[in-house]
Amino acid sequence: MHEQSLIKNLVEKIHLLASSESDRLVAARLRLGALAHISAEHLREHFEREIIGTPLEGLRLQIEEQSDIHHAEAQEIILDSLEFEDSHGD
Amino acid sequence: MAKSKTIKVDYLARVEGEGALYIRYDDGGVHDVKLKIFEPPRFFEGFMRGRDYLEAPDITARICGICPVAYQMSALHAMEDALGLVPTPELSALRRLIYCGEWIESHTLHIYMLHAPDFLGYPSAVAMAKDHPKIVQVGLQIKKAGNAIVKLLGGREIHPINVRVGGFYRVPAASELKPLREQLLQARDMAAETVRWAASLPFPKFERSAEDQYEFVALSHSQEYPMNKGRIASTRGLDIPVSEYDSHFREEHVEYTNALHSVLVERGAYFVGPMARYNLNYDRLSPLVRQTAEDIGFPPFCANPFQSIVVRSLEVLYAFDEALRIIDGYQQPQEPYLNTEPRASTGCAATEAPRGLLYHRYSIDERGKITDAKIVPPTSQNQKTIEDDLRHMLPKFLHLPEDKLQAQCEQAIRNYDPCISCSTHFLQLHLERSGRVGQ
Ligand SMILES: [Zn+2]
Repeated sequence: MHEQSLIKNLVEKIHLLASSESDRLVAARLRLGALAHISAEHLREHFEREIIGTPLEGLRLQIEEQSDIHHAEAQEIILDSLEFEDSHGD
Repeated sequence: MAKSKTIKVDYLARVEGEGALYIRYDDGGVHDVKLKIFEPPRFFEGFMRGRDYLEAPDITARICGICPVAYQMSALHAMEDALGLVPTPELSALRRLIYCGEWIESHTLHIYMLHAPDFLGYPSAVAMAKDHPKIVQVGLQIKKAGNAIVKLLGGREIHPINVRVGGFYRVPAASELKPLREQLLQARDMAAETVRWAASLPFPKFERSAEDQYEFVALSHSQEYPMNKGRIASTRGLDIPVSEYDSHFREEHVEYTNALHSVLVERGAYFVGPMARYNLNYDRLSPLVRQTAEDIGFPPFCANPFQSIVVRSLEVLYAFDEALRIIDGYQQPQEPYLNTEPRASTGCAATEAPRGLLYHRYSIDERGKITDAKIVPPTSQNQKTIEDDLRHMLPKFLHLPEDKLQAQCEQAIRNYDPCISCSTHFLQLHLERSGRVGQ
């Protein structure tokens, strides 16, 4: 259940950031901590379901799984960066 | 070529609004304790209507990423009850095996990542890992072995897709189960270590008086430690078939939470989960597990909820032992599943999710479309008991500074492994201090 809330929050944040950019959002990069309670596969699945039918559909999701249990963010899911493409480009 | 740019974000994903605790108190004591839990099964119940009966296990599996197998198992058995289908012993054994995998995954996550930091005085598993890296590594390894079982039978680690009404889409050959054996044997040793370690933790003394003792409720079966089948039994003499659940248990709307409160009709709060299973079914545990409990001096009946971490670790040990037993005696089922024909009917089932009894009831029409669904998850069944515990404990803690008070409340709530505990700092604490007594 928690993952629904977590991913909703993430998707909202991406929406917010994308709406203030004129370029087209093409990819999002996440960092997944070694002690996060969710696997990359599981995260991807939830994420993809959450964006169906929204402007984010088709977004490329890159998940970097971290292995350091001592990292300060080892339990977290971090939205690392967003990649945009110039929508006027050819 | 299109130009691209990357913006750096570094934003932490947050869990929002899943748990809140309201405490109203004054010098005279604690007057009100309300635990608010965000609970989506209600939403799923509506969402199920009109869907095909074969979809129920896969849809309900999405309710929780930590115990998808439990939702699937309750859904499967409820549908099979509706259709008058009895799984063969070979298929039942495989279901038990995948359930073992989930108990291991879920309990281990709870023990090592969520609850242990409370006992050892750390705000999180990350902080704990600094001083106790070995403990965390062992936890991860044990959990991996559980994942391996679920992956093999479920097709993947999370939200398994291989189980279906009537059986499995595909069943493994005995040769596929063999490679697991070595991993499980090793993990079983680590699980035995975990029991000893858990028993050494510093437990708050918290026992209710005899008149005020919890009513523990769990499945009970003459031959098996309960997972997928049995009657519903309690420590105060309840002993009913699952089909009578609805006439003994009632859900009440409470205005402050989305979750419904479950009560035992005429008796009120009850307690489901590992401690209930253990207290009602100690004799069905394997000899290894009972011996281990005896070695550490842990009694066959335990009513201190803080010691549920020991019971969970005993259940992890049991799940490994049981998984190995099933693998060693495995007979590949002749058919991966029994054929099903929909008919207008109603069926129900309860199984033992890692965190306790999980009840499902469905009605379907003659085309197999779901017309009604009811799902009662363990967390909502325990909610009243959790609030009662807090009411008992709080007078001792109210003098503490707010962060300490919050930590104590969280630990007490985590005894029950509610789904909200998945986030380390889930709790919003609202303290309301009213005027002096008599005002
Ligand atoms: Zn959960």
